Amino acid sequence: METKGTNKIAEFIYLFFIYSKLNTKIMLEYKLDRFLLAFAVFFREIISVVVMVLILTRFVHIKGWEMNEMLFLYSFLFLSYSLFIFFFTGIRDFDDMVYNGEFDRFLIRPLGLMFQIISSRIDYCATVGHGAVGIILLLHTAGSAGIEWNARNLLYYITALIGGAIIQASLFMLSSCFSFWAVKTTNLRNLIFFNSRRFAGYPISFYPAVIQKMLIFIVPFAFVSYFPAQFFLRKPDIEMFWSGYLYLTPVVGAAMFALVYAFWRLGLKSYSSSGNSMY
Amino acid sequence: MAFISVENLVKDYRINSRKKGLLGAISSFLIRESILKRAVNDISFTIEKGEMVGFIGPNGAGKSTTVKMLTGILVPTSGSISIGGLSPYRDRKKNASRMGVVFGQRTQLWWDLPVSDTFDLLRYIYKVPEKTFKHNMEMFNDMLGIGDFINQATRQLSLGQRMRADIAAALLHDPEIIFFDEPTIGLDVVAKEKIREFIRFINREKGVTMLFTTHDMADIEKTCNRMVIIDNGVIIYDGTTNEIKDRYGRERSLIVDFGENPGDICLEGVTICGEGEKKKKFTFNKSEVQVSSLISRLTQEYSVLDLTIREPEIESIIREIYEGGIDFDKSLSGICQEVVSEQRSLQN
Repeated sequence: METKGTNKIAEFIYLFFIYSKLNTKIMLEYKLDRFLLAFAVFFREIISVVVMVLILTRFVHIKGWEMNEMLFLYSFLFLSYSLFIFFFTGIRDFDDMVYNGEFDRFLIRPLGLMFQIISSRIDYCATVGHGAVGIILLLHTAGSAGIEWNARNLLYYITALIGGAIIQASLFMLSSCFSFWAVKTTNLRNLIFFNSRRFAGYPISFYPAVIQKMLIFIVPFAFVSYFPAQFFLRKPDIEMFWSGYLYLTPVVGAAMFALVYAFWRLGLKSYSSSGNSMY
Repeated sequence: MAFISVENLVKDYRINSRKKGLLGAISSFLIRESILKRAVNDISFTIEKGEMVGFIGPNGAGKSTTVKMLTGILVPTSGSISIGGLSPYRDRKKNASRMGVVFGQRTQLWWDLPVSDTFDLLRYIYKVPEKTFKHNMEMFNDMLGIGDFINQATRQLSLGQRMRADIAAALLHDPEIIFFDEPTIGLDVVAKEKIREFIRFINREKGVTMLFTTHDMADIEKTCNRMVIIDNGVIIYDGTTNEIKDRYGRERSLIVDFGENPGDICLEGVTICGEGEKKKKFTFNKSEVQVSSLISRLTQEYSVLDLTIREPEIESIIREIYEGGIDFDKSLSGICQEVVSEQRSLQN
């Protein structure tokens, strides 16, 4: 029984690998275009960082946060987003799949739906664009912020990134649930996701209590950037929050994903296909 | 038990009603009004293993919704579907592994990649054994000429090539049942014939059950022996193509080119209309007037240059059915009697 289970997992991994191979092949088909796109993403993001730096240098430090510490916090956003896109591009593009009928095709294949959604797409451009910004920020700030890379910290860092990626995947999936009823939901998602993400680029202690609560309990971006960064930095404003929050990122990620997935299954029953474009 | 059995199938859609004009658009944005539309209304039928059945019906009749429920894409509002003992949506994966679907309007091939890449992927998805894969690829090569373009990207294929590749892709894993959605749409006559021939071959050799939706009556005539006509979400006819043709295609016409103007001709049971001075069209019922006697009379009395006999095509019969011009004869075996009377009472 158990060997059957591991066989199945091996099959999944192999199939995922084949999908990735095909996606990579497509990317290589349009080398220049994809390279430029990755470059464009990189520039768009790095400019937002530069603007932030220019504004912040006028105040030097806010509530005891140095520039490099702020940027270290910011790097979590970029790296976890890059990781999220690398694994879950399909979740980001789900409403598109519903809209153009690709999802109908998934329904007539003998594979799990989530598996097909996740493995059918990889956006290398966004992965590289965001990832490069994240890595540059990390390399520039980790040293000066005095972070020691021992085994414990490294383990925490990796789980925090994965947890952060899953939190973002859950948020995207939540918005994609509404595509079962309303088909196009990109704007709803942009409203919730990218605006919250903008807040999460700064320490949440800067904000009024309402926004802090929102970023912890409703759109939990605090677990993507602020709490993981505080684990390493321990700035005095951490006193404002329960210390257990520092370790909750993977838990919040797993719980959210499970909850949203259940909701997604529920929505699937109401799926009405994208009209008559198919038949 | 029948291979496919569908009982009292119903599907309702909730449609947001939108009002006209800008003000209307604003008001329907603020207050959502939705109406319930019944796309499929209490349909029941059975299909045996190895049968080829054509689903036809005007646009929006509910045939696509029915097929979407049969393939497991949509969940029925009520009623039951069983395909070889499985429910298409509850046992989705199991059912999908023995089912093939061809969409004429949408390809399952990866657009930017060579056709062979999609085949490789499908081979792993359906876990097709090496031997079967090789054997099937050889067959596709022989019958559909896949080999000529297997290394080209899908976007570079002609429509005919793409359709052939799509059909091959749906058949790769030796499915027990195949759904064809307009498999010949947009193709030229030769390509259409080639595809029909292949479909007949697969049905004959492998005993695959096949369901078509199409608007091309020639598809139905040349491949299916059974035809299901759906209109307004109900089945209005379910029977053979020949039967409907026999019953409603009794009218014949004879077109005659005369050597000189024949003047007025009077024949019993025949309506005559002139198509020109020397060309006349004789229309008659084949059970009342014999074509041979009509021809011999005409050739004896007049100088005849050319003769053409026309029998009504199934297409024109179907057109009349769609337009409500044909009242079904209840004695015809395929007619769903309750439905006919029900529809009448609705119309009155």
